[in-house]
Amino acid sequence: MKGVELAIGDLNGVLKGLLEKEVVDCLIIPHSVGNNIAYMLVTDPDKIGGEGIFAPSFSVNAAGLVKGWTIKSKVGLVAKPCEIRAAIELVKLNQIDKESALLISVDCPGAFENQVYADHRDEIGEWIDSAKIEELKSKGVELREACKICSNRLADVGDIAVVRREGEKVVVAALTPMGESALNALGMELEDKDIERKDEKAKIADAAKKNEESLPKIGSIEALEEFLRDCIVCKNCRDVCPVCYCKECFFDQPLGNPVSGDMLNLGVIRGAIGLPTNQLFYHLTRVYHVSATCVGCGACADACPKEIPLTRFYPVITKKVQEMFEYVPGKDVEEPIPFTTYEEEELEDRLR
Amino acid sequence: MVEEAKGEFEPKIIGFTCNWCTYASADLAGTSRKKYPPNTRIIRLMCSGRLDPMFVLRALLNGADGVFIGGCHPGECHYIKGNFYARRRIAAIRTILKELGMANRVRSEWISASEGDKFASVMKEMAAQIKEMGPNPLRGKVL
Repeated sequence: MKGVELAIGDLNGVLKGLLEKEVVDCLIIPHSVGNNIAYMLVTDPDKIGGEGIFAPSFSVNAAGLVKGWTIKSKVGLVAKPCEIRAAIELVKLNQIDKESALLISVDCPGAFENQVYADHRDEIGEWIDSAKIEELKSKGVELREACKICSNRLADVGDIAVVRREGEKVVVAALTPMGESALNALGMELEDKDIERKDEKAKIADAAKKNEESLPKIGSIEALEEFLRDCIVCKNCRDVCPVCYCKECFFDQPLGNPVSGDMLNLGVIRGAIGLPTNQLFYHLTRVYHVSATCVGCGACADACPKEIPLTRFYPVITKKVQEMFEYVPGKDVEEPIPFTTYEEEELEDRLR
Repeated sequence: MVEEAKGEFEPKIIGFTCNWCTYASADLAGTSRKKYPPNTRIIRLMCSGRLDPMFVLRALLNGADGVFIGGCHPGECHYIKGNFYARRRIAAIRTILKELGMANRVRSEWISASEGDKFASVMKEMAAQIKEMGPNPLRGKVL
C-alpha cells in the first residue's frame, strides 16, 4: 500500500487539506461535544479540531447518516472500519454513489457505548490500548458486546486507511486509486507502507471468537421468543441499522403492522394474539433481510430502549449465513451481494 | 382429520410449488392415482423464485408444522434462473432456522412435471418425518 507516516498531530492537517484542496466538498467526522463524541458535517477547514477520530466511543453507525445520499457532491466519511464496511454495502445496494464518497477508515481499538465513554472520558482518553481495556474491565467499565466479538477492527477498508502506530504516529495509506489521487492532491510524498498486520489480525480474531463463544446462546425458537419477550416492536433497531434500507418497510404496512380491523381479523384467525404483535416475525424477517450485509456494528443493541442485547442475535446468526456464502460484508466493493448472484451448482446439501 | 379427532397428531404442511414443474407433478400424481397423505396444502407460485422467505416464516409462526418448497430442477427453470435465486434464499433462511432448531421443518425439492412418482414419495416421506418430529412448538402459542 502506498502511504505516508505522520505524527499524530499532523493528521488534522491532512483532513483540513482534503477540504482546502477541494478533494471533498464536506467531511463527516467525529468531534467532541462536551464529554461526548458525535459526528459533524464540516465544510469549513477551520472547524476541524480533530479530537475524537480515534476516541473509542460509538454513537450511531456513520454509514447510516449518509444512507440514501445520491448527490454528486463529494462527501468524505471518516469512521471506524465497521461503519466503512456498512457504507461499502450501501454502495452495492445503490444507496450511496461510490464516485461521490471518499471512505476513510480509522483503526478502532473497540468502543464503549457513548454514554459510558462520556462518563469515563478522563480515564479512557482519546485512544485506548488493550492493557487499559483490561484495567477498566476490572472496574466494570466494559467495551460494547459487539466490539468484543468483532474481528475486523483494524483499518483496511475504504479508499484511505488511517493506521495507528507506536509512539504517537499514524500511517495514512491509500487503498484505492481514488484514495491515492486524494493523497496526491495534498502534495504528499507516498511510499510503500505495510499495513497488512496479519499477526495482529489473527490475535484479534482469536479473542473475538472466544468472546463470542462465551456469550449466552439462543438455541431454539422458544429461547428466541423468551429473548424478545420485552420487545415493544418500536423498530429502533431497524432505523439505526445502516444496512436496513427499504424506503417503505414491510412492518410499516398493514400486513406487517396491523391495526384495528386488520388486527381483529388476525385475532379471529389465531384465537389470540400477543400485543404488541409480530415480535418474532419482525426480528426473524429483519435477520434474514440483513443476513448477507450485517457488519456486526451493534448499533441495534445500543438503540434498543428495552436493552435487549441484540448483538447476541443479529451478528451471531447472520455470520452463519455469511460463512455459507463465504462472504465478508464490506470487504470488497466489487464483490456482489450473495442474493444478487448464483452459481449453477451449489448449496444442494442445504435445502432439505 | 378423522385421526386428529382420535388424538393422533396429523401434521399441517404448507407447500409452495412452482406453476411449471412441481405443481404439474402434483397434477400428474393425482391423474395417475398415486396415493400420498393429505397433509400438504399447496399454494401455487409462478416460480420458486417468487418465494419470499417471509412466506416460510409466516407459515411457521402461524403454526404450520412444516413447509415444503418445490421448483424445477436447476437449469430447467421456466424463467431461466428463478430457481437459482430461490436456492440461495432457501439456503439462507434454512441456515437461520437451523440456529433455532427449526430447519428440519423446511424442505425443498426439485420435481419436474413428469415426476409424479417423486412428488408422491416426497409427500409421503415429509409427512412421516414431521409426524415423528411432533407439532411445531409455536402451534397454539399467543404470538
